[in-house]
Amino acid sequence: MTTKRPGDLGFNDLSSMDREVIKSALRQGATRREVMGYLMASGATIAAAGTIVTGAQDALAMTPKKGGQIRFAWDLHGPSDTLDPILFTSSLDYGRGRLNYNNLTRFREDLTVGPELATEWEANADVTEWTFKLRKGVEFHDGSKFTADDVVYSMKRHLGKESLSKAKVLVATVKDWVKVDDFTVKAVMEEPNAELPIILGTFHFKIVKNGTTDFSAPTGTGPYITKEFKPGVRSVHDRNDNYWNTDHEGPYVEQFEAFGITDNVARVNALLSGDIQMMAQLDPKALKQIEDSPNAEVFAVPSGAYPTISCMLDKEPGNNPDFVMGLKHLQRRDRVLKVIQKGIGAIGNDQPVGPAYGADWCKAANDPVAFPYDPDKAKSLLKKSGITGAELHVAEVSPGMTDMCLMLQRECTKVGFNLQIKKVPNDGYWGAVWMKQPMNVSSWNMRPSANIMMTLAYKSDAPWNETQWKNERFDKLLAMARAELDASKRAEMNCEAQKLCAEGSGSLISTHRAYIDAKSPKVKGFPRVPIAAFGGMEWPEFIWLDA
Amino acid sequence: MMSQMIIRRIGIGIILLWVVSVLIFALTQVLPGDAAQIRLGQQATPETLAALRKELGLDKPWYMQYLSWMGNLFTGNLGISAAGGATIESLIGNRIGNTVFMTGIVALISIPLSVLLGLLAAMFPGQLLDRIITSGTLGLIAVPDFFVAIFLILLLAVSLGLVPAVSYLSGTEGFWRSVYVLALPIATLVIVVSAQMIRMTRAGILNVMGSPYIEMAILKGVPRKTIILRHALLNAIGPIVNVIALNLAYLVSGVVVIETIFAYPGLAKLMVDGVQTRDIPLVQACGMIFCCTYVILILIADIASILSNPRLRHPK
Repeated sequence: MTTKRPGDLGFNDLSSMDREVIKSALRQGATRREVMGYLMASGATIAAAGTIVTGAQDALAMTPKKGGQIRFAWDLHGPSDTLDPILFTSSLDYGRGRLNYNNLTRFREDLTVGPELATEWEANADVTEWTFKLRKGVEFHDGSKFTADDVVYSMKRHLGKESLSKAKVLVATVKDWVKVDDFTVKAVMEEPNAELPIILGTFHFKIVKNGTTDFSAPTGTGPYITKEFKPGVRSVHDRNDNYWNTDHEGPYVEQFEAFGITDNVARVNALLSGDIQMMAQLDPKALKQIEDSPNAEVFAVPSGAYPTISCMLDKEPGNNPDFVMGLKHLQRRDRVLKVIQKGIGAIGNDQPVGPAYGADWCKAANDPVAFPYDPDKAKSLLKKSGITGAELHVAEVSPGMTDMCLMLQRECTKVGFNLQIKKVPNDGYWGAVWMKQPMNVSSWNMRPSANIMMTLAYKSDAPWNETQWKNERFDKLLAMARAELDASKRAEMNCEAQKLCAEGSGSLISTHRAYIDAKSPKVKGFPRVPIAAFGGMEWPEFIWLDA
Repeated sequence: MMSQMIIRRIGIGIILLWVVSVLIFALTQVLPGDAAQIRLGQQATPETLAALRKELGLDKPWYMQYLSWMGNLFTGNLGISAAGGATIESLIGNRIGNTVFMTGIVALISIPLSVLLGLLAAMFPGQLLDRIITSGTLGLIAVPDFFVAIFLILLLAVSLGLVPAVSYLSGTEGFWRSVYVLALPIATLVIVVSAQMIRMTRAGILNVMGSPYIEMAILKGVPRKTIILRHALLNAIGPIVNVIALNLAYLVSGVVVIETIFAYPGLAKLMVDGVQTRDIPLVQACGMIFCCTYVILILIADIASILSNPRLRHPK
């Protein structure tokens, strides 16, 4: 803990204006670390900054209240809405899942996991088996007892050729799930994986009741009971007063209603007029409108999610290294961040891991970036490549994607390179264009660890290796890190992998995004996990309404 | 005579339904990607794609897919949504109610309103009232519906706070409460559809007013009001009901933008969602409903115009 020295200022010694500035920074989503950074940059000592922030956090913190009703609106919904965890697609699905079910493990804000339905877990010596001890005395909403059978059934739905699970690549190396006794289960793996407990904290690994096949009104162990679920219309969730978690007073809110308002303007209007209390995916253009309103505030969490331009290295022109290097030198990363993302997010380094990954992000490998903006160098590289023009297929797969490509096009024109932008519809993009056209765009959400992210999108034989970059050393580093339980050794491998990927891949990753949502100031208590919208969708059992 | 015509029309309607179903099926085949591809999106792997295609029956040849859909239809089974696995009945069920409710209210307000305003304009052609009505409606036709909607939201919901900005029914509201919640989309749609119907009514009546028998009536000294109500209106009903029918059909199938802006779960948005997810059973079901609506409404319009015009009852 930091101690206050005589002469240092406390939070209450500041002027009321300074106090408001700090409080509003904290409210709008700056973390303690970020605010302390600002304060120290302006000359405060660590101790003073710590005291000031603690004071401000105390001023913000209030005892959570019970009761009330919250309506939240998402940007996407439709007939494909589902309560079947293995098929979850949108963050609306994730939210409903978090209301209705539990995982074995739960994400904390620093991206480590803590106990949820599993109370403790350990691996064998070569990390090929994980044993999970399960929580006793947990009941499903229908009154039946939670046991190992439910876990084994839920987990086995991700295994095998016939599985429809959207997350099966994450657990592809798990051979089997075995019930040891009523409250112990064991995962048996083909190869070592130190990150299994982290993977099991993600959205698709919810625990359903043994034998469930009809997911139109499924039971679960979660903090809320799904009272009504109509895909593409709405869902209603009532508080589970029999919830097992007694660490806190929650769940607090009496009832949640979830539905979609797909129109960006209409969604903002609904929040401003008080018809809803939470809305996902705030269009950066509406930031000011929200900030000016007493009924609404921005909730932004910097994440590792990123938009990217891919040059496929196995096709022309991406198979020419000088061409790819040339383009990489034409990215104005700071301007993309400032203009397109309104300053919210982080600079990217052409590899998928950003600062939001916390300890997994390797500063030495990424700051400064491998290929800084350098039009002269780009010009000579492009000239050397002998290529004078290329065609980039663009769909608006993430907000601002097209603008980002146009910015690159402008830089290309300046050095005399003809980059043609071909705009294609979002509809059917992933099947028809992505990984088919030699230059295309894509957008990735954050994954729970650097290793998982790099394995999914850059491992040589990964089905989604979008630039077809193949590097044996990189693959080996990923596998070694997965088998390594020593954190500092793992970090070293992580660093080397990120460096290799930044220098070798065909990706142009200028920036990392933030998840920007908005809510009523009356809704409080959000955790800030960066892996999905609204603080990782971990809010259901924690938030409360200050009526 | 009349019953023969109705039976023939129903027969044509059934053939039309079949043609539409073939067309919809063919068009959804042309679109890039199938339901499995769209559902898995960026997360598709060859293995999961194959497993999902098998589950959805998309691995069979196209004619088998169509035949099995037809077979199910004849046994009253609309099938399962390829996008999410819910039954089509459950997806369509409460949306039909929503769409019918909104269409009904809008029709109840807009039809009498537009016939009345159209009559008023026709009664005093060229005068101030007529000028206001014609230029007002022309302006409203020119403004897109989403603009009217957003403007009404900003004015009535965000600034004045009189009515809710999203039209969102929980299903437990009474009639008046529902009308209150739906006030904005109802107002928007009344404005949008009335403008056209008003102009059509006015034009229809003025058109008849130029015919020789009206001239005769004027020469006989019949007051203008009586001429319009008794002679002109009845003869103008044919075109007017047809415009009304087309507008009602539009309210059922074409109000995607309004449903999107107000987050009102109706049929039109459902069909668009279905197309986007290549959910053939869902698109087919919506297509059938829309086609039926058109066939029935036009049939009613034709019957109304025949009843109002004795000459049409005895074709030469």
